[in-house]
Amino acid sequence: MVIKAVWIIVLPIVAFIIGIFFLGLQRKIIARIHRRYGPPIYQPIIDVIKLINQESISHGKLFDMGVILSLAGSIILVLFIPFGEIAPLSGSGDFLVVLYLMLLVPLGIALSGGEGANPNISIGISRKMMLSLGYEVPFLFSILAVMTYYKTTSLVKVVGFQQSSLWGIIHLPLPAIAYFMILPAMLEMRPFDIVSAPQEIASGPAVEYGGRYLALTTIEHAFHIFIVIALFVDLFLGGGNPFTFFVKMLVVFLLGLFIHAVFPRFRIDQAIKYCWKWPTILALAGLIIARII
Amino acid sequence: MEKLKDEIASIFKEIKVNIAQDTKLIISAKKEQVLNLLRFLKDKGYNHLALISCVDWIEEKEFELVYILGSYLEKGGKGHIILKTRIHRKKPKFKTIIPIFENAEPYEREIHELFGVDFEGHPRLTHLFLERDYKIPPFRKDFDTREYVKEVFEKIPFVEDKK
Amino acid sequence: MDRTNIKKWLKTPDKMGQKYSLWAVYFCTGCGIIEIPPVITSRWDAERFGVIPVATPRQANLFLITGYVSLKTLKAIIRTYELMPDPKYTVGFGSCPINGGMYWDSYNTIKHLDKYIPVDGWIAGCMPRPEAIFIAVTHLWTMIDKEMATGYKRYKENYEYYRHNQERLFGKLEWPPLYPINEEKTEGEGN
Repeated sequence: MVIKAVWIIVLPIVAFIIGIFFLGLQRKIIARIHRRYGPPIYQPIIDVIKLINQESISHGKLFDMGVILSLAGSIILVLFIPFGEIAPLSGSGDFLVVLYLMLLVPLGIALSGGEGANPNISIGISRKMMLSLGYEVPFLFSILAVMTYYKTTSLVKVVGFQQSSLWGIIHLPLPAIAYFMILPAMLEMRPFDIVSAPQEIASGPAVEYGGRYLALTTIEHAFHIFIVIALFVDLFLGGGNPFTFFVKMLVVFLLGLFIHAVFPRFRIDQAIKYCWKWPTILALAGLIIARII
Repeated sequence: MEKLKDEIASIFKEIKVNIAQDTKLIISAKKEQVLNLLRFLKDKGYNHLALISCVDWIEEKEFELVYILGSYLEKGGKGHIILKTRIHRKKPKFKTIIPIFENAEPYEREIHELFGVDFEGHPRLTHLFLERDYKIPPFRKDFDTREYVKEVFEKIPFVEDKK
Repeated sequence: MDRTNIKKWLKTPDKMGQKYSLWAVYFCTGCGIIEIPPVITSRWDAERFGVIPVATPRQANLFLITGYVSLKTLKAIIRTYELMPDPKYTVGFGSCPINGGMYWDSYNTIKHLDKYIPVDGWIAGCMPRPEAIFIAVTHLWTMIDKEMATGYKRYKENYEYYRHNQERLFGKLEWPPLYPINEEKTEGEGN
């Protein structure tokens, strides 16, 4: 019990450190691809320290609470995803909790965006909701395929099955490919960074965020990167002890980053058409095959 | 171009026409004939109003309005037509050419703002570029820029001096 | 560049944070805007200093005013400056904000930017090179360390005088005053 309580406090800190490291690595590697020196890897920490010390201009109580709601959703979600063999709060029914809690992030931002009186925010939030609608469908089918194949709804048991036999990607290749194809959409990386498009809608929902709100949004982004990639590694690549887990997360992140560095941006209707075409077909096929086998 | 020049010279009286550099037809007309001339030229195929400009002849006490027309289609002929008129400088007034060319509206607004020419019939003669009102419109030749700067901008004190 | 000096980070984290991540508002004034994209992109990289362009003034704390300021632009500059959150720094770029520059006798540009918004530093040149921008950023770091870059504090203390100067140019302004004004100080000055 004591070990569980300790891990409940330590695991978000570990997730935060890994998330911030990935954010800094993103800027550095994109800079090197552009053939220039980039900022140092600890630059997001400097950004967060600066943003905390800056004055934040509030638009009302609901404006504050929306950002805190999305951050709270992310922190709670971290505790349900096993990091290697460490899983403080998971039991049975993990998958469904994960699916529900993942929706708190866009809802929190939509709540705060209604209070800020800027039309750019409404455009950004409508894009975010449509993008969520786009990627939730293949995501749901992919998770259902895994649940049907292993006949369990607990993430820890899925990881345990993969430790004793082969990795999930060999048993279920089609849902794995579908999940990997919509990984940039869930992380808002480059073919899909429609929501916070600085050139088009002046940063979307973040246009009125001053000092501390932007710090909270950056921290939430760091947690979100950790959650999505850790879920992929848990389901399909067989999480091991923490060090192996971290190496696998790094490989998946670097693959997504190399796509992010060279692609331009989709329009929102192209994004939804993409998400509902091939990833959905592959995930549905994987679900049917998993049911039959 | 030669045919057009002869045609204009035969139909309209009291104007001067000549051709420069083979592709520019320069017409000087009186101010009462301008609207008829523009309609005639538009029917001939010159249906693109490129520019309206204004020159300040301060010794002769006149403004000169210059209209430059071009044509999109090949059958209208190549080249530009430059049409000049003179109006007096004391209280300058002219008719607007929006019924003939609709895109003349911002050009006439600009000339009204910078030279002070009043166009009758223009729907919206408001500020286009400038933010203040000036006693003498700024592009006239008797507007002294150095005096204006001394009077308006240098009289505003620095904030450190006020304390 | 003492970005890795851990003792300083622990003593004054707010100053070190403001120094090494200056986010600049991407406001395109005048003719100096042609010098900003080379600074941001690959050849003269500004991101290694921590300077990135952001799209909205609410997220920014550095304002580069590049080039001449006409009267219409001044209205937009004042509104953008008042939207930025509090420790904010302004840098006048080019010779036109300093004393009018090439347009010293123009009827539509302002000659001294310092009368309308507070400016922390100037960069001379008719357009300065990108290396001059980097030297200015390092000078700004030294000024932040010694607490000499206090433009925003000056704006807050002397807001009546700044607003009076702005109203002398434009007549009545459409936006309400940012800080409350008490009426006694500006009565003695005739218009």
